[in-house]
Amino acid sequence: MAVARVALSPGARARRRGRALTGYAFLAPALALIGVFTLLPFLQGVLLSFQTWDGVGRDTPFVGVRNYERVLGDSIFWVSMRNAALFGLVGFLAGNALSLAMALGVNAAPRGATFYRIAYYLPGVFSVVVVGMMFAWILQPTVGILNRTLVALGLESLKHNWLSEPATALPAVSGVYVWYHWGFGFLLFLAGLQGVPRELYEAASIDGAGAWQRFRYITWPQLTPVTTIVTVLTLLAALQIFGTVQVLTNGGPGYVTEVPTLRIYKEGFQFNRFGVAAAMSVVFGTILMTLSLIQIWLGRRIGSSEVD
Amino acid sequence: MATVETRALPRPRAQARSRLTINALLRRVTFNAILVLVAFVALFPIVWMLAGSLQTIRELYGGVTFWPSTLQWQNYAVAWNQGGFRVFIPNSLLYSIVTVAAILVAASMAGYSLARIEFPGRNVVLLLILAILIVPLPASFIALYKLLVDMGLANTRPGYILALTAGGLPVSIFIMRGFFVRQPRELEDAAVLDGCSAFGVYWRVMLPLAKPGLAAVAIIQFLHVWNEYLLALVMFNSETLMPVQRGLTRFVSSDTPEQHILLAATAMAVLPIIVLYAVAQKSIIQGIMEGAVRG
Repeated sequence: MAVARVALSPGARARRRGRALTGYAFLAPALALIGVFTLLPFLQGVLLSFQTWDGVGRDTPFVGVRNYERVLGDSIFWVSMRNAALFGLVGFLAGNALSLAMALGVNAAPRGATFYRIAYYLPGVFSVVVVGMMFAWILQPTVGILNRTLVALGLESLKHNWLSEPATALPAVSGVYVWYHWGFGFLLFLAGLQGVPRELYEAASIDGAGAWQRFRYITWPQLTPVTTIVTVLTLLAALQIFGTVQVLTNGGPGYVTEVPTLRIYKEGFQFNRFGVAAAMSVVFGTILMTLSLIQIWLGRRIGSSEVD
Repeated sequence: MATVETRALPRPRAQARSRLTINALLRRVTFNAILVLVAFVALFPIVWMLAGSLQTIRELYGGVTFWPSTLQWQNYAVAWNQGGFRVFIPNSLLYSIVTVAAILVAASMAGYSLARIEFPGRNVVLLLILAILIVPLPASFIALYKLLVDMGLANTRPGYILALTAGGLPVSIFIMRGFFVRQPRELEDAAVLDGCSAFGVYWRVMLPLAKPGLAAVAIIQFLHVWNEYLLALVMFNSETLMPVQRGLTRFVSSDTPEQHILLAATAMAVLPIIVLYAVAQKSIIQGIMEGAVRG
């Protein structure tokens, strides 16, 4: 045995080393790119949050926690965080309810499922800028189709300068957000529904369960993993909303529709306070990554409970 | 007796059935009406934008015109020539194609390694890539900009392509790895016995088998690069280098163009995506869901 092991191990070790070499050689391009352009900026960002930088020069003196003090005292940043949370809540409640309802509908539709799937997801492939431009035109105060339709219907009192009035700006942007993103949850819910075993429904029908009971006791529990994923991803997307808001309102009127990414962008590229912007990024990024970790953790837990 | 029974029964049954069908019919009509209404809401903004892009400014502002009396194709010509889209669109094509190619090479190699080669530290690398996957761009674009400035890559084509390639890699690696993991071991063994090198196995045996995965990654990343905005916004100030989404907001803010030209410009920014979606909606939807579940 011992002899055999001694005789084998150099060859085995060489093979092992060869495999490791091949393995890392194949990984090298990807790891180099990720390391330089994703990992390094991430670490540099943390460093920069303790420094000050004007965006041009090479000078980045340390300022301790001053940037963070500034972030804590920046009420607009916290308004933007509150707005992001609000978008998250709207996406979570209205968006997910719509997603689930329409997935149930299309799943039950005798024909046209493919058409509905294509149509409902179409907004999801547009860019944030394009969506902003389309709705800026629809919501245009004097000749936009929304206000024109309201007037034609005799609902002149409901006419608004949607994106410029403080009372309507946030609801209008939320509406656009839901229009843009609900298709994503719809797709996932639809796939989830198609994965529910038919036998469960057949058994329930034999037991005399009504439509609501079938939903409550079969569909809903079976969809739990999908609901979890959709919820967290909707929340994450809502918190990161940026381009659409920039095009529609640029955070206005005042700061009514300001969102964190836009705030970070302005802090850096308009006010040239990149250190403060980096500190905001760290605060904001920590929240986003915590949410992602919760999603992974929940996904694991659901996955393992399914196996049991 | 039996005949009497069968003769007596049909009437009430038929009545119940007809009442039921009216109810069911009503329910089916409402049900379908809701489905169609939602499809209308989903499609209307894009159709409205396309319709407006072919109208004169007078039609656009004068009243509700759906179909223009004559199609104003010159709106597109104006946006193309004076709006800078003859620069933005080729730029976007270049960025998309090069980035997608780079991602396909790097992600398929990495995915193959992580799926088929057993080496020490493999799980650590997997975990690292998973961790990178959750770093959001809004949390790192300030530092990424600084890095690009330090490297002299801000406001350059290579800088944009490299940053986008790195950004698209983690999810692409996971998708590719998923495809390689599912392939049977025997093919690989046979190729090794035939004297294939590790690279030969990857290139000649595994890559052809993973074609659906490559297609999914290519389509998803093309969409992503074509639609990318935040990075392009912060890193380009030369108009000649801007991709189409950045060019569009530049166009809006620069010389306040008229609405009909703006709509034509928006249409140009989105038409390639609509064509791609029409051709490859199945792969797009599948790829998006795979990305979501893995991410």
